[in-house]
Parts: sequence; C-alpha cells; structure tokens
Amino acid sequence: MRKYPLLSYLFALVLICGSVAFAATQWSVQPKESKLTFVGTQAGAEFEGAFERFTADIKFDPQDLAGSRFDVKVETASVNSRDSERDDTLKSDDFFAVKQFPTAHYVTERFTAKGGNKFTATGKLTLRNVTRDVPLEFTFEQKSGSAWLKGLAQLKRLEFGLGAQGDWKDTESVGNEVKVGFVLLLKQ
Amino acid sequence: MHLKNTLTRYGAVAQLFHWAIVALIITQFVLAERAEGLRPAAKIPVLATHKSVGITILGLALLRLTWRLLNPVPPLPAGAPRWQDRAAHVSHFLLYALLFITPLLGWFMSSARAFSVSWFGLFTLPDFIEPNKATYQTLHAAHEFMAKSLAVIAIVHAAAALKHHFLDRDNVLRRMLPVAERTPHS
Repeated sequence: MRKYPLLSYLFALVLICGSVAFAATQWSVQPKESKLTFVGTQAGAEFEGAFERFTADIKFDPQDLAGSRFDVKVETASVNSRDSERDDTLKSDDFFAVKQFPTAHYVTERFTAKGGNKFTATGKLTLRNVTRDVPLEFTFEQKSGSAWLKGLAQLKRLEFGLGAQGDWKDTESVGNEVKVGFVLLLKQ
Repeated sequence: MHLKNTLTRYGAVAQLFHWAIVALIITQFVLAERAEGLRPAAKIPVLATHKSVGITILGLALLRLTWRLLNPVPPLPAGAPRWQDRAAHVSHFLLYALLFITPLLGWFMSSARAFSVSWFGLFTLPDFIEPNKATYQTLHAAHEFMAKSLAVIAIVHAAAALKHHFLDRDNVLRRMLPVAERTPHS
C-alpha cells in the first residue's frame, strides 16, 4: 500500500464515511428506566399492564432512517396487569399461551420522519405465531450520548388469536383494541 | 299527589327515590348471586352491570339525602312506644349510611384489584386505592358484610311497615305509596 499513499488514504476515507453513513447508531437500552406497557379495556374500563422482561435492539439515527432498525423481543410470561388472576388468564392458552409461545417479536421495516422529533415506522409483530403489520408512532429526543424513545402502537387482540376462541371472544367484556406504549432510555 | 312531602305523606319525589332504590338493591343481589357461579369471561359483563347499578344507587342516595334535607319527612305516627320510634330512627339512619358505604366499598375493592369501575361504559371512575391483594380481600369482605347488613335491616324495615299496615291498620305504609290514605273509619 505504500506505493499508493493517496489511494489507501482515499480507501480508508470511504470506509470510514461509509460506516458512518450506512450504519445508524447502535443504542443500548437502559432496563431500569425503560418500560413496555399496554392498556386494554375490560367491561368498558381501561386497565394497564406491563411486560417486565423484554430486549430491544435499537439502531436509530434521524439522519439515516434507511439504516435504522428496531428489533424487540418480549417475554410473554412477564406480563403484569397488577392482578394475579388476570395475569394467570393472560398467560393461559386462551391468551398468550406462554408455554407454547414464550416470545413475541417485533421488527421494523421502514421509518418515516414526521417533522421535529416525530417519526413513524411500519413493522411486523409476531405473536402466538401470527404475524401482522403493526405501525408505530414515536418521538426521539437525543441529548449528548443518550436519548429517549417514546412511542405508541395499536393492535387488535383478536387478529393475533388472543382470546379468540370460546369464552373471551366477546369484545364487550374484553375490548379488541389494545394500546401498547414504550418508553426507552438509550445510551450510546 | 304532591311532589314534596306533606305533614302526613311522602311526596312523589321521595317515593320515587325510595322505590327506585328498592328495585336497584334487589337487582344488585340478583346480579351478585348470578356472577358467583360463572366462569371469568361470563362474569365480567355481569359484574360490570352490578358496578354500574351500584354507582347509580350511590348517586341516587346522594340526591335523595339532599332532597330529604331540603324537604323534611313526615313525622312518625304519634302514640307508638318510645322504643319503636327509636328503632325506626336508628334503622333509617343505618339504611341511609349503608346506601353510601356499600357502593363505596364496592368501588374501592374494584380499584384494589386494578379493575376500574365504568358507569355503563360511559365514563370511568377514578381509582383512589392502589392495587393490592390483601386490601382487596379486606374490602371485598367488608362490601359483602355491609350488603348483607343492608338486606337484614331492609327486611326488618319492610316487616315493620307491613305490621303497621296489617296489624295497626295505620297509614305508615300507605304514605310511601301512591294510594289514598285510610280514613279513620275504615
């Protein structure tokens, strides 16, 4: 390479620029400050719950949406709705069937900037072996080395077969719409 | 019939409050009994109705008490033994108290289980109690005890009214009904 100092210099430059331009920032999620929650409705009243255990592989750069990607794995058995009886029902075969389907998986496909720190994403959620499109809306607030990622998704439980057979089908008792929220503290 | 109470009878408003609450309380026992044996999915809508009716009773009790304070009730019939007057006042006071206490305990026990109370799906009541299993169990037991006490006192109250009607042959029951008073000769 000594023969072509300029060439090797250019080569290195391309490599460095390339890696900056084509790989969005890899973030690590701070579990203590981060949470994944949901709001369902039961007999007309909302109830809140959370998934205590999940991992999120977050590559995100507002300047490089094409290279950005969220990959989230949720341990379904970690559901907590603050009532043990309801949690048992959610973990049962009627809902999450946690023994058979211990993990729910979400992967983004495409990001769109919505102005300011607002973004949307399309993505696929796999739950109980059913894969469906689930769009996300989120904000990304970056401050020197860390960032808050806060967002919302809406899904219909019956599309994923949650309580779709037998007793729990009635959406008067348990609403079909479920709101999923997330607040993640990210560090570089 | 007058809307307001007179010196000898309850008016239409007081009567409507009284009998509407009677009907709703009976509904509550029927719904609670029915929910008991059901599987969770079927239980939810029955209990939701029970909660909505309970909040309705709470609201009616509040309006009824306000009406009673603005519009004094007819005095108890003269000539009854003192202990009967005393018993009537105590049971009326307890019935009013339980009309408030029982639904409030029901509301709080729902919050303690992280099941917020919705009023017929139109609005959701705030939760003043943090979800906690032990708190829930205490409140549940208290709710049931108050409901049973309400039933016992209401039965005594109704029995006393029937005693006045059939044995004393006075106007105590009639003055809470949209019917004419007995004349002294009948």
